[in-house]
Amino acid sequence: MPSQPKTVEIHIRRRANPDSPQYWEQFEIPYRPNLNIISCLMEIQKNPVNKAGARTTPPVWQMNCLEQVCGICTMIINGRARQSCSALVDNLDQPIKLEPMAKFPNIRDLVVDRQQMFDHLRRVHAWIELDGTHDLGPGPRMDQEDVQERYAYSRCMTCGCCLEACPQYEGDNYIGPQAIAQVRLFNMHPSGKMTRQERLEGIMQEDGITNCGNAQNCVKACPMGIPLTRAIYEENRETVVHGLLGWLKD
Amino acid sequence: MAIRLSRTFILRKLHQLSGIFPLGVFLLEHFYTNSKALTGPGDFNNAVKDLQSIPYILFVEIGGIFIPLIYHAVYGLVITMEARPNNLAYPYSRNWFYLIQRITGVILFFFITFHVLNFRFGMIPGLNTVSVAHSPDQAFDIVSREFRMIPIFIVYMIGITATVWHLANGIWLFLVDWGITIGERAQRLTGYACIAFGVVLLLVGVNAAVAFIRPGGLLGGIIY
Repeated sequence: MPSQPKTVEIHIRRRANPDSPQYWEQFEIPYRPNLNIISCLMEIQKNPVNKAGARTTPPVWQMNCLEQVCGICTMIINGRARQSCSALVDNLDQPIKLEPMAKFPNIRDLVVDRQQMFDHLRRVHAWIELDGTHDLGPGPRMDQEDVQERYAYSRCMTCGCCLEACPQYEGDNYIGPQAIAQVRLFNMHPSGKMTRQERLEGIMQEDGITNCGNAQNCVKACPMGIPLTRAIYEENRETVVHGLLGWLKD
Repeated sequence: MAIRLSRTFILRKLHQLSGIFPLGVFLLEHFYTNSKALTGPGDFNNAVKDLQSIPYILFVEIGGIFIPLIYHAVYGLVITMEARPNNLAYPYSRNWFYLIQRITGVILFFFITFHVLNFRFGMIPGLNTVSVAHSPDQAFDIVSREFRMIPIFIVYMIGITATVWHLANGIWLFLVDWGITIGERAQRLTGYACIAFGVVLLLVGVNAAVAFIRPGGLLGGIIY
């Protein structure tokens, strides 16, 4: 292991409010073993003085679970979108560059508004209708292989790394791998299949699945290892069979 | 009830399909005809004459080639404009293929425009003003004269390579876009198949072009 310097240098791309321009600010904090990016940001927050020695506002970021399952602390670290909780200083080149995700509206400092992903989930009906006025009984049994594939898609935490890495996605012009994988998750479910048409319509609009350019960055960038390209290609098949060729059954 | 199809969905599916059929199929036919030059000028000229004697040739050419070609080219440029390449931050092979598919597409836009005006219509003053299609008896000589000019031959080598790359990778893209290839292993295996197909097609295309300046092509007629 290379000998670590006594300090950690961090450059943060900041923004005071949604209408003001972005700027870089440099910080330096004392090195400790096993620091992650969040603990670095907490250290700066305790004593918000930049590298030049000037007092500044503490940088703002979002965090919650601190174990890479909630996705909210996602930011661009040294050029790559990833979770700041699981990004360890010992594994990063210095100076460490922190930026907010570029493909979502930047609210302040490292905070972005990821509402569009949740809107997409609503549009594709990313849930299963189970509520009734009476007991519907146990659901149909599922193939073990399907269960395993569905489990992989169910691990999505809506962090947005796939959209950030996608060369086709910009300005909410494409529904993206995140929502398409959830379509696959719920279309595979025996009860979810009943509302398949609504989901397929959701991913066949102007910003739909055909905007995929097959660069396959999504599947490489996904921190949960979700087989996103598999989901997209399965839905390509579903949209061709039920969408493009659907009229042949009428 | 059938699902509503959005405009973008239909345009993209037509774009994906037109690249394979008819354009990909036409490229194979084109290389087949070009390869006739391997056995001599007479065989090539006869092949050109045969093509021109196809019944309803005007409609075949307009509906089967020009309309799909112009659509694929223009809509392809629209798709290319949407790209925001990020290959330095995400330097994966498929991401490079994504970029190269767009670069070869732009190269082809200019190359095919030149090529069609040059040989099909004979409308490049100073270079060629005789349509190959309409003068089958001079077909070989027109091409041969131009290919002996080194800059023209280089342009055609770049054009052939870009075309073959764009089709070979395009077949792979068609397979995933139409949900034929799905899983990761299948993606990999069809990827190898497309590379092998591309290598063979490149050799056939280059050999046919060389046959216009060297009798018998690269191997001098050992293998036709």
